[in-house]
Amino acid sequence: MTALVLAGAYAIVQAASESGDAPWFVLLLGPAGAGGVYWGLFQYYRNTDKSHDFENETIIESQPVTGHDQKVDRVTGTTRTQIKGDNSSDHRSRVKRLK
Amino acid sequence: MSDLPAGPEGASPADGPDLDPADPTPPSDPMINTGNERLEDGINRCPKCGSTEIQLRVSTGLLICLFCRHEWAETEIESLVSEEGDLRDLTGTTVASGASDIDADAGMLTMKCGGCGAEVVVNTAEATSSRCHWCRHVLTVNEQMPNGSVPDAVLPFSVTKDQAVEHVRAFVQKRKLFANRRFLADFTPENVVGAYLPYMVVDGNVSADVEGRGEVQTRRYSRGSGDDEETVYDADIYRVDRHVDFTVDDLTLESSTERADMRAFVNTNNVINTILPFDTKSAVQWNANYLVGYTSERRDQDISAMLPALEHQLLSIARSQVHGSLKQYDRGVRWEAEGLSVHGTRWVSMYLPVWLYSYYEEKRGQPMVHYIAVNGRTGETMGSVAVSHGRIAVAAVTAGTFLEAIAIFIVAFS
Repeated sequence: MTALVLAGAYAIVQAASESGDAPWFVLLLGPAGAGGVYWGLFQYYRNTDKSHDFENETIIESQPVTGHDQKVDRVTGTTRTQIKGDNSSDHRSRVKRLK
Repeated sequence: MSDLPAGPEGASPADGPDLDPADPTPPSDPMINTGNERLEDGINRCPKCGSTEIQLRVSTGLLICLFCRHEWAETEIESLVSEEGDLRDLTGTTVASGASDIDADAGMLTMKCGGCGAEVVVNTAEATSSRCHWCRHVLTVNEQMPNGSVPDAVLPFSVTKDQAVEHVRAFVQKRKLFANRRFLADFTPENVVGAYLPYMVVDGNVSADVEGRGEVQTRRYSRGSGDDEETVYDADIYRVDRHVDFTVDDLTLESSTERADMRAFVNTNNVINTILPFDTKSAVQWNANYLVGYTSERRDQDISAMLPALEHQLLSIARSQVHGSLKQYDRGVRWEAEGLSVHGTRWVSMYLPVWLYSYYEEKRGQPMVHYIAVNGRTGETMGSVAVSHGRIAVAAVTAGTFLEAIAIFIVAFS
């Protein structure tokens, strides 16, 4: 958790030094760090985010995944670094059910 | 696609079993009888000397007669419930007899003591053994009661109380600095209690489909100049469909309504869930003597009530299984729809062993029981330690002040 806070601080300092002038958001380092420390310590004690990792700890025998990929559109000049609503790693977020 | 049970993918009514035109009622789902026929309600004697003073010897996982020291074990349940063949051939809903629907009113059982002939009433919702108040024989409930108190199988404790106490102590030892002072003052790990908690262990043969959109970056470049310069991207958008067939073996679900409630800011049941999995293949056929000296909690959920939890876990597993096929989508994938076809399931009810340390906290009128749970087979430990919010706040403000000083230094000297 401390490492996470320091990594975040390091990233902000790096961004500031790369841009020459320190941007205003560097001043958020204190409040953000305080929030991170509070949440990290709370989770270490209370473990509210923990649950059984059944996706990986159950005996699963899977056949090869099949599928279909079709180009349907393109996006140009977007400042987004990721697709909007990326949930490919959040296996437990449910989406609309196919009928 | 989500209904359970579903036929194999692509199956049509014509693919189903032939029905007798004179009796069009389809055959009911198969039931596996797991009742321990060797035992009867009442006196459960040592097979060697006939004593009824029997309990679990944790270090060996065997039942031991306290009179003649003879040790023995019941049959492993796996050999009774698993048919020959692959789980991929599993169809329909197979239910072991101890997992059948619950009749909540069927809790009182009158047993005739085999020692003196007295009749002893046992409330099976509270206990599965009792002592004859006349002759002191131990009477045990071995019949599978329809109130969920007698499961198909039990997984005996193999972690001793002393080991559990050490696990709990070590867990709290690492979390003392910001713990609630009252919690620390009251902390008595020797108060840990061994409990058999009810679970449903499910095998499944499943197909799943997911549909969504994925993006592949084609170009990254800068736009504007000076302070307005920004990095922008071009990307191709794909429609992504995936299909996966898989089987799950011994997926473990809470079958008590109270334990299945995982709202982590209202209760701490999630820490008990975290110590899963158990080596459920080692579970043995029911014998009430495995519970002697431990508490237990009765199953109160039918299979139909547990289907949403099962479907959620199967869909999560499906999403996890297809994740490896998305490597080309370097800008990620947004799943928009998902479907499940459950071809077959097999349900077995089990008591699984958990050592529990609990601490009751009441804050602003809201009660909260903090559990520290130790897996009674593996020793895996997880818990919730009541915190001192004041101490955490002081630590957070200190860290924030330190970081803010660095930030001001950077702004001032850049």
